[in-house]
Amino acid sequence: MMVSAACYLFGALAALATLLMLFQRDPVKAALLMLAALLSTAGLYLALSAQLLAVLQVILYAGAIMTLFIVALTALPQAWRDRPAPASLMRVLGLAAAAVLLTELLKFSAALRARPFAGAFSDEGTLPLARELFGRFAFQFELLSLVILACVVAAVALAAARRPAQ
Amino acid sequence: MTAYGLASISFALFALAAAGFLTCGSLVRMLMFLELMLNAANVAFVALGPGPGSQAYAVMLFAIAAAEAGVGLALILSLASAFKTLEAANIKELKG
Repeated sequence: MMVSAACYLFGALAALATLLMLFQRDPVKAALLMLAALLSTAGLYLALSAQLLAVLQVILYAGAIMTLFIVALTALPQAWRDRPAPASLMRVLGLAAAAVLLTELLKFSAALRARPFAGAFSDEGTLPLARELFGRFAFQFELLSLVILACVVAAVALAAARRPAQ
Repeated sequence: MTAYGLASISFALFALAAAGFLTCGSLVRMLMFLELMLNAANVAFVALGPGPGSQAYAVMLFAIAAAEAGVGLALILSLASAFKTLEAANIKELKG
């Protein structure tokens, strides 16, 4: 019961923060609302007994990625200058498209109604996850380091291309 | 609580983030909403997966999201210095 209530509470908070982000024109306030959505998702992970994921969510998403966004907003004066007038028709059309998408997704997942969720809270989820990551998924997990390396090289190459030749 | 309730939370987060991605014109905000869409997919992995295996996929998705944010912001910085704007509608040269 408590787990279900926590799931719905954190899910509703995340959805509310995302909805408010849609109508926020100030980029820093939008980034703070995104932070609220990410922290609510961390709470959702905690309620789902995924403690390691909750910690990673706070460190990686709410920490590292949000810092990147704030640095980008600070470094780009265009982010403050370009504030187009809110096109209400476009917003309404976007929300209508989202409503259609949500309805279709819910329709296709109707089979899940019969599937109960094991709602008991457990604090022993990290060890099995570590066994999976360093056992069955060890190759895929190590392969990710190559993806990260490629992304670092790409980001450095893009930054070097911006710098004028000496 | 059924798995359908958890799926609904994930789908609602995804749909709202998709709406934001479609309607906002700023490149930085589009990337923010893209991250939130990925976050919603992660919630679906954790909520609907069979156990630690699905959580392992979610951990890998974290790394991919971080890499995507890094490259995306580097691209946006390059575009901003080349076109002096962050509004996708003002970047005419990208239109086909």
